[in-house]
Amino acid sequence: MGYEHILVEIEPPIATVTLNRPKVLNALSPAVIGEVAAALGELEADDSVRAAVLTGGPKVFAAGADIQDMAKQTAVDQLLRDQTGRWAPLAGFKKPLIAAVNGYALGGGCEVALMCDLIVAGDTARLGQPEVNLGIIPGAGGTQRWPRTAGKHVAMEVMLTGAPVTAQRAYELGIVNKVVPAEMTIEVAKRIARELAAKPPLAVRLAKEAVLKAFEAPLSEGLAVERKSFYFLFATEDQKEGMHAFLEKRKGVFKGR
Amino acid sequence: MATEVEQHINLEVEGGIGWIRFNRPEKMNAIGALTRTQLAEAIKQAERDDAMRVVVLTGSGRAFCSGADVTEMAPGAGMRTPEDVGNVLRNEYMPMLMRLRTMPKPVIAAMNGPAVGIGASYALACDIRIATPEAYILEAFINIGLAPDGGVSWLLPRLAGTGIAYEMFFTGKPLQAVDAHRLGVINRIVPAERLEEEARDLANQLASQPRQAVAGAKRAVLHALTSTYEEAMEFESYLQEAQAASPEFAEGVQNFLARRAAKK
Repeated sequence: MGYEHILVEIEPPIATVTLNRPKVLNALSPAVIGEVAAALGELEADDSVRAAVLTGGPKVFAAGADIQDMAKQTAVDQLLRDQTGRWAPLAGFKKPLIAAVNGYALGGGCEVALMCDLIVAGDTARLGQPEVNLGIIPGAGGTQRWPRTAGKHVAMEVMLTGAPVTAQRAYELGIVNKVVPAEMTIEVAKRIARELAAKPPLAVRLAKEAVLKAFEAPLSEGLAVERKSFYFLFATEDQKEGMHAFLEKRKGVFKGR
Repeated sequence: MATEVEQHINLEVEGGIGWIRFNRPEKMNAIGALTRTQLAEAIKQAERDDAMRVVVLTGSGRAFCSGADVTEMAPGAGMRTPEDVGNVLRNEYMPMLMRLRTMPKPVIAAMNGPAVGIGASYALACDIRIATPEAYILEAFINIGLAPDGGVSWLLPRLAGTGIAYEMFFTGKPLQAVDAHRLGVINRIVPAERLEEEARDLANQLASQPRQAVAGAKRAVLHALTSTYEEAMEFESYLQEAQAASPEFAEGVQNFLARRAAKK
């Protein structure tokens, strides 16, 4: 399917989705969000794809929403449009999703990165939530995902001052998995994606689901989900293959069955 | 009445080298409010302009830079409150010193004379220092009842060791060029009349090196200074991958092989 604002590149077993509006620093419009959501829907259904990378290209990840457009909006416009609610397919994507962040990831851009499972950042990247400076607050999960990852006080600093953090600080805070030279960011993210794509897909999927449960449920419920998934995986061919391969000192070949 | 704005800082581009010169010899190149503005602008230009492949920071007259213009710190002068002092450090000195230290090209301090107080901060923020025998580094803060600033609490212990750094901060006594050279704080000492020539030669040499590889070396060091051995090696490995894919590497290998063949 053709897209106007994004590029989708499928190199089985991985896919790369690139926000492609460099002239507006990849500002996130409803159209962009719609395309990313649609693309992820397709990748979800595509069995040749086992992991994906989301990036804004070599210069900028996404510098927030289109403020010119937002400035004219009323509360009712916002409610009816529900722009931030449209990210649900991204947060709910069942395969590993890796953000490759170069340059600015601000506002909605930062929130999108936080929705991904891992973040690889270029050494010159900056992440932040400057919404407060415009008289609003983050609307796509920033106030909830920052404290869950970096803790309350860091989240407060980021939300209340609006000042972005460097890639290195984000790494120290546990927001970013890896800081690499900016020209290597996308490549490193793709390599991680390929590494994850070689793992047993059902185990990866249930591990992801269980980790995300940690943010939603009380411990007892999360543990129950984990335990049931653990038992369930013993019913899969990949579990047999994985354990046999381990005992036979060879690399397992997994089918996702 | 139109008044001509004084030039406290000169920026000249000559053969790929950007010369930033403190130009207030009558005040031993002291840094006042106007100096800060002009210096910040010069550093910004030096960073952005690709025509400058190497930057040299030096002073005119007898001093490299004698530090903050204390007359502007007196009661009733420019900086009225302690908070003003802090704000000038945070909002003016910090961004330009960060820029000077991290710009992706070599920055050489050609120390024609003493580097005192915040002046020493500039000298120490450069990548390489060459100096005349008359030059010295003086952390003068204690002499007027202040603690170190301009990044020297971070830079000097790394360059000279904590013992030397503490002694300088506590006593307010100068570190002479010859001692600084022995400690490795200054790369080399050259007679005053040859300083500029020496700086130019070194700058020319660095300007003729593969640009991206030079910038890469600087990025690797800057990254390593805030990371572990393991993180630094991983960062290096990715940087080297990018470099190995560059025309600079292809050309470098070709030239190396050609030179070796020519020797046979």
